[in-house]
Amino acid sequence: MKPIPVKTIGAALLALFLGAARAADTVKVGVLHSLSGTMAISETSLKDVLLFTFDEINKAGGVKVGGKPYMIEPVVVDPASNWPLFAEKAEQLLVKDKVSVVFGCWTSVSRKSVLPVFERDNGLLFYPVQYEGEELSKNIFYTAEAVNQQAIPAVDYMLGEGKKKFYLLGSDYVYPRTTNKILKQYLKSKGIPDSDIEEIYTPFGHTDYQTIVASIKTFSGGGKACVISTLNGDTNVPFFKEFSNAGLTSENCPVVSFSISEDEFRGLPAKALAGHLGCWTYFMSIKSPENAKFVGDFQKWLLAPKVTGTDYTVAGVDPKGRVTCSPMNLSRMGVHLWKQAVEKADSFEVDKVRVALVGQKFKGPAGEVVMQENHHLVNTAFIGETLPTGQFKIIKTIKKVAGEPFSAKFLGAN
Amino acid sequence: MRAFRVPRLLVLALLFLPLLAVRADDAARGKLVRAILSEDAAEQVSLVRELVAADDPLVLQSLSAWRLGNLYLWSPTDGTPAFPFVLDGAADTDGKSGALRISDGTALKDASGQPVRVVVSELTVADTSAKLRKAIKTVLDLRAVGDPDVRVRIDAIVKLGQEQEAGYLPDLERRLAIEKEPTVRRSLAEAIAFTKLGGDDRAARIAAVKSLSDLRAINSLAYLRKLRGAPATVADAELAKAVEAALAVLDDYERWGNLFGTAFRGFSLAAVLLVASLGLAITFGLMGIINMAHGELIMVGAYTAYVVQNLFRTWFGTTGAGPDLYFVAALPASFVAAAAVGLVLERGIIRFLYRRPLESMLATWGVSLVLQQVFRHIFGAANVQVGSPSWLSGSYVVSDVLLAYNRIFVIGFAFAIVGLTYLLMTRTSLGLQIRAVMQNRAMASALGVRTERVNMMTFAFGSGLAGMAGCCLSQIGNVGPGLGQNYVVDCFMIVVLGGVGSLPGTVSASLGVGVTDQILQPWLGAVMGKITVLAGIILFLQWRPAGLFASRGRGLEG
Repeated sequence: MKPIPVKTIGAALLALFLGAARAADTVKVGVLHSLSGTMAISETSLKDVLLFTFDEINKAGGVKVGGKPYMIEPVVVDPASNWPLFAEKAEQLLVKDKVSVVFGCWTSVSRKSVLPVFERDNGLLFYPVQYEGEELSKNIFYTAEAVNQQAIPAVDYMLGEGKKKFYLLGSDYVYPRTTNKILKQYLKSKGIPDSDIEEIYTPFGHTDYQTIVASIKTFSGGGKACVISTLNGDTNVPFFKEFSNAGLTSENCPVVSFSISEDEFRGLPAKALAGHLGCWTYFMSIKSPENAKFVGDFQKWLLAPKVTGTDYTVAGVDPKGRVTCSPMNLSRMGVHLWKQAVEKADSFEVDKVRVALVGQKFKGPAGEVVMQENHHLVNTAFIGETLPTGQFKIIKTIKKVAGEPFSAKFLGAN
Repeated sequence: MRAFRVPRLLVLALLFLPLLAVRADDAARGKLVRAILSEDAAEQVSLVRELVAADDPLVLQSLSAWRLGNLYLWSPTDGTPAFPFVLDGAADTDGKSGALRISDGTALKDASGQPVRVVVSELTVADTSAKLRKAIKTVLDLRAVGDPDVRVRIDAIVKLGQEQEAGYLPDLERRLAIEKEPTVRRSLAEAIAFTKLGGDDRAARIAAVKSLSDLRAINSLAYLRKLRGAPATVADAELAKAVEAALAVLDDYERWGNLFGTAFRGFSLAAVLLVASLGLAITFGLMGIINMAHGELIMVGAYTAYVVQNLFRTWFGTTGAGPDLYFVAALPASFVAAAAVGLVLERGIIRFLYRRPLESMLATWGVSLVLQQVFRHIFGAANVQVGSPSWLSGSYVVSDVLLAYNRIFVIGFAFAIVGLTYLLMTRTSLGLQIRAVMQNRAMASALGVRTERVNMMTFAFGSGLAGMAGCCLSQIGNVGPGLGQNYVVDCFMIVVLGGVGSLPGTVSASLGVGVTDQILQPWLGAVMGKITVLAGIILFLQWRPAGLFASRGRGLEG
């Protein structure tokens, strides 16, 4: 038997070492979005944009800690639009998979359901969807629009347009109810009497908007009226059909919707909504080199989706007619902010990253954002008018709005 | 020689006339350009206000473009001052379009004299402020008072009236003198009276209150109510009396309008419920199959409407006949498609389970899940868009109550299919056989009725009705894979409430639920209204478990 050449042994050892090093040089990151059930339509897009962002960062060399690059390895779970399951899956991500950070949740109830889990296990969650505020956890970073970054600028715009009567219409759950409560207080502070504010809620999946549209018609009869809508998802279709059949238009009674972004438009009759308004901190139609790159790269990525540098296989991506929207932009910026903070802290440890996150800046598609001490962003708010193409035409830009979760603070300031 | 002179003068005058007109246009254009380039907001507003008299289409086009942010500034490279321009026509395939200079209406040319093609995203928008946009809007509204389109005229008049700006009165009165269209005349009179009511002239105000009440101007109700409480009104006895009288009339008018509106909306909701549940009244009511896939049969019909719509769009184009006539073809097509699915379902699964109702429930529930997933796979998880034909969009207004065309259609459609089903059941041999099999299967079979075949036909017919319902509902709500689930609970509720096996029961139950829901909604809101109706149904069924019209069906006997 011939002795094995030293060279071969060396090569084998090197390969082993490299292999081990490769396996060690990844960092696990959780994605907690519903991929089935009612919320799947909205949340699947966020999963896609997160995987795209991981790929974007890995391609550029990954996350550098201790002078070593780490590739982001996604751990995608499906809480199936089931709120208690969100908590279970969060627990699984934190305890079993030991992820460094989790990006996820859409509805407020899912966030409320995972909050105790993140606080108990000292995890880190980035939450990207506009919400009602009145909450602050040391374990959650809210890239989402707070009420004063979306609802208040929209109402201010309406007041500036000379609107004197406000019809607050929403789906019956925590976000519309809390937002409307704050808005009512705000409107009152601006001198709008109670008699000129109407507050109405409808159940999820409501299809019969006859009575409500008839009352809006009466409400707007004297002019200077507008509708502030927090209607969720596809209840908007019967509402807007009824609305336009009643001869109401954006001219005689504009509707500002807080829950309709470009992504939701894919399932809505955009023509019936043309001229009505939206308010977000990002629109796909924003003209900036950063946005052109984001939209272009994302759409290209969808055609051949993969996460560079890891063995993760991306499945079930539908590249047809895809758009970008505010929650998607905020999801992506969350990943970048986390990466910068990790590199600054030079550690994946939650307690260190949390400290490093405050003050992090990122130049996003809609301009620079800064993470504040209250875990919310300083961001730019835009008012946009809906076009028949399902895009928004920006009609007003409000720069540097500091997100504030507690209404007592920004209402007090006024 | 002399004879020639007059014509020559005339010719000269005629030659100059267009020039004079052009000069007037130039003045308006010049004003507009000055307004656009001005840095002083107050000057901008006053210049824009002066443009009310302008007749130049380019000026009006530019004004509305400016307001919408489609007016741009061009900064020439040779250092001459910037000037405003608008786009000329739609963008071509490269996203480029031509440009018109506002000052002279000519196409924008580059140094070599070639027309410039611009890309919108690279242009500088001439900015506006809210105040300026409002001024522009007012100018355009004043212009729109003379618009050839009645709808546009009324919208503009209503808007101007709401401003209560005495300055608009001459324009409105001038229009009233020549306006012939009665609906526009009414809006004009209302706008004038409302504007005068906001003025200072006491006699005119009292007269205005009177005429508002004569006009049944329901939109002025809120204002009049505020006026009643105002100290100035209380101090003026005559005015207070007029306001009281007007309010009495208008309140009464509003009450009757509300009653009528509620009745219509109740009927319309009842029709929706009836249309959705009639198919189930046959498959569950008459045949005793707990058909959990009923909702998905509705969905099949709705998606058929979607497919037919897309076919018509490819065949007949996206305007005119394509989107308008597809619906006529979609109704029978959705009947056939859902009936076919029902037929397969009956032959494949249900016929083995006639004597086991609970198992038929589980089996059909499984089928409903399979169907949902199949449709999700073919058409995607997101909702699809089914457009409304133009003859189903909009509404008819009777004394300020809106009767939407699609709602009227659903009511008519409900009548039609109930009539059709009634005739089928009572006047045809199939109907006779269905009733015979339903009452006593063994005896019917002994008398030579092919019960298997009757079952098959009945189930297919019920499914077909569900399909047509889907087509109809696509005009009102969403079309998506979850469509069926939204309706199936309501459908079972209606059939059980009406009394299983009774068609008149189904009709009365939908009427009862629909009207009650609409009466309660304005008081309790949509959420509490629905809960109250559900609680009412539960209590009713405790009292009469067999529903409104109890009948003996074979299903429950096994």
